[in-house]
Amino acid sequence: MNYVIEAHGLTKRYKRTVAVDRIDLQIPAGRIVGLIGPNGAGKTSALKAILGLTTYEGELNVLGKSPARDRASLMEDVCFIADVAVLPRWIRVWQLIELTERIHPRFSREKCLRYLASTKVTAEHRVKQLSKGMVAQLHLAIVMAIDVNLLVLDEPTLGLDILYRKQFYTNLLNDYFDEQRTIVITTHQVEEVEHILTDLIFIKDGRLVLDCSMDEVQERYAELMVGPNGVEAARGLRPLTERELFGRHIFLFDNADRGQLKQLGEVRTPSVADLFVATMNGGDA
Amino acid sequence: MNRLLALIKREFWENTGAFRTTPLVIGGIYLAVMLMFIITFGHFDNEFQTLRELIHFTAQQDPGVRAKFVYESTLAMSTMFSVVLAFVVFFYLLGSLYDDRKDRSILFWKSLPASDTLTVASKLLSAMVVAPLIFWAVYVLVHITMMIVSSVVVMSLGENPWTLFLSLGHPFKAWSLVFASYMAQSIWALPLYGWLMLVSAFAPRIPLLFATLPPVVFAVLQIWITFLQTFTLKKKLFGIIGEWFVNSPLIMSADNKGHDIAALGVPISSAFDHDVTLANMLDRLFSTNMLIGLVVAAVFLAGALWLRHRATEG
Repeated sequence: MNYVIEAHGLTKRYKRTVAVDRIDLQIPAGRIVGLIGPNGAGKTSALKAILGLTTYEGELNVLGKSPARDRASLMEDVCFIADVAVLPRWIRVWQLIELTERIHPRFSREKCLRYLASTKVTAEHRVKQLSKGMVAQLHLAIVMAIDVNLLVLDEPTLGLDILYRKQFYTNLLNDYFDEQRTIVITTHQVEEVEHILTDLIFIKDGRLVLDCSMDEVQERYAELMVGPNGVEAARGLRPLTERELFGRHIFLFDNADRGQLKQLGEVRTPSVADLFVATMNGGDA
Repeated sequence: MNRLLALIKREFWENTGAFRTTPLVIGGIYLAVMLMFIITFGHFDNEFQTLRELIHFTAQQDPGVRAKFVYESTLAMSTMFSVVLAFVVFFYLLGSLYDDRKDRSILFWKSLPASDTLTVASKLLSAMVVAPLIFWAVYVLVHITMMIVSSVVVMSLGENPWTLFLSLGHPFKAWSLVFASYMAQSIWALPLYGWLMLVSAFAPRIPLLFATLPPVVFAVLQIWITFLQTFTLKKKLFGIIGEWFVNSPLIMSADNKGHDIAALGVPISSAFDHDVTLANMLDRLFSTNMLIGLVVAAVFLAGALWLRHRATEG
């Protein structure tokens, strides 16, 4: 199988710290992968390595290229939005479109203008005159108009209000994503992306602590809610975590027998956010 | 090639104020001063016909003297453009690899399939060719405008502009020499340009400070050590940097040997001939000093490129 991103022993060291610690990673085509971890876990370092923005140790292959050596040619096949509001503030929208068209062989001006038509962004606007949400729309319009197979989004909606955030992901899903394309997203707003993800990767202290598909997540993990009576029995089944909410106890199980759990109380699939908190607090999952 | 041109266009768009508006303002100043002169000395009737007298007086002078004056003032007119251009290029290069790191838009530029080499090249070429070309074009346009206005005034006062000055000044030669001196200066100044780009790629903040402090410290040490050795202050107080400036191939219109009003650089050094000729410009470019300068520039530029490559680390 051909992977879009393939890493073996990927490591990124800064002077005193190891940001990414011997990561092995395989991401096939047609996936939307959430790369999720607390601040300083190494998400951005890993993404920078993938995008050729930083040096690294270990093996890394993105679309058959080595990012550290071939950033410029890799960028013909990869798009990324690193953080909101990195578009140059002085530039006018038409200048941005013309530059991208001249530099990027796979950019379609028509597509970009079509996406922009549904926004309030006009050709004469300077980026500094736009609101943060409009800048994100502009950047997304540019990126979606580039026909590439890997899109990397690093906190693309940070600081945007909920309307823009929802719209951002809706556009991405409806107008962009298909079987050939792969999207890698890092974000803190886990709740907003969990419904569009196909795969989940948790990263903590530079190591991957979870790497599985959303289907696997549904199979493996179960959340059990019990009243005071069932608490001891539930604890006996060795849950990953336990928390209390309005007098009821909520347990998170990995690879537990759902039938057994159902006898104790209400069982459901945990949210990614709950799974994340449990994984980060409870050692390796 | 297409990408390089696109990147150069981007530099122009970002710096339109410095690259285009600035020379236009200088041209505007020239034209405004000229109009003020004409109005001041030309609008009185009969009693104070100063301008008419001046033109009549000029027409009586020896054509050789007139030709020299017209030609050299055409050269000298470039000086204001050259000096401002030098400042524009200085500050442009100082910000060239710094500004997008500061506002983080480097992350956008690096998402485009353009190599760091191409990016650095586009910035260097903008400083060496694009900015000088625009300044030169405006200089020529302003000069033509001034000649047209002068001709109209001269004709209205009953003299023939063709015999008075138009046929004497060799404007094409003067313009070409100014252009040649701009290009020669772009090469002569490469060590400085390389240094500025290096600082621009390196400085964590206030690139101006990082650009000026090391040369100043270097100069002070040089003077101090010489003083300790000889207990005298040498004539060449500013050392290499001073020599470099004084021998620049730019027309700085200082008084040259007491007979020309235009000269290359500042004619106080005897290392080179300061007459405004193409040969003297080439003389500077094919000198040992220039060769050393090019090596230094290459080192600085390689450093700038290396830093640019790693600008998104950390």
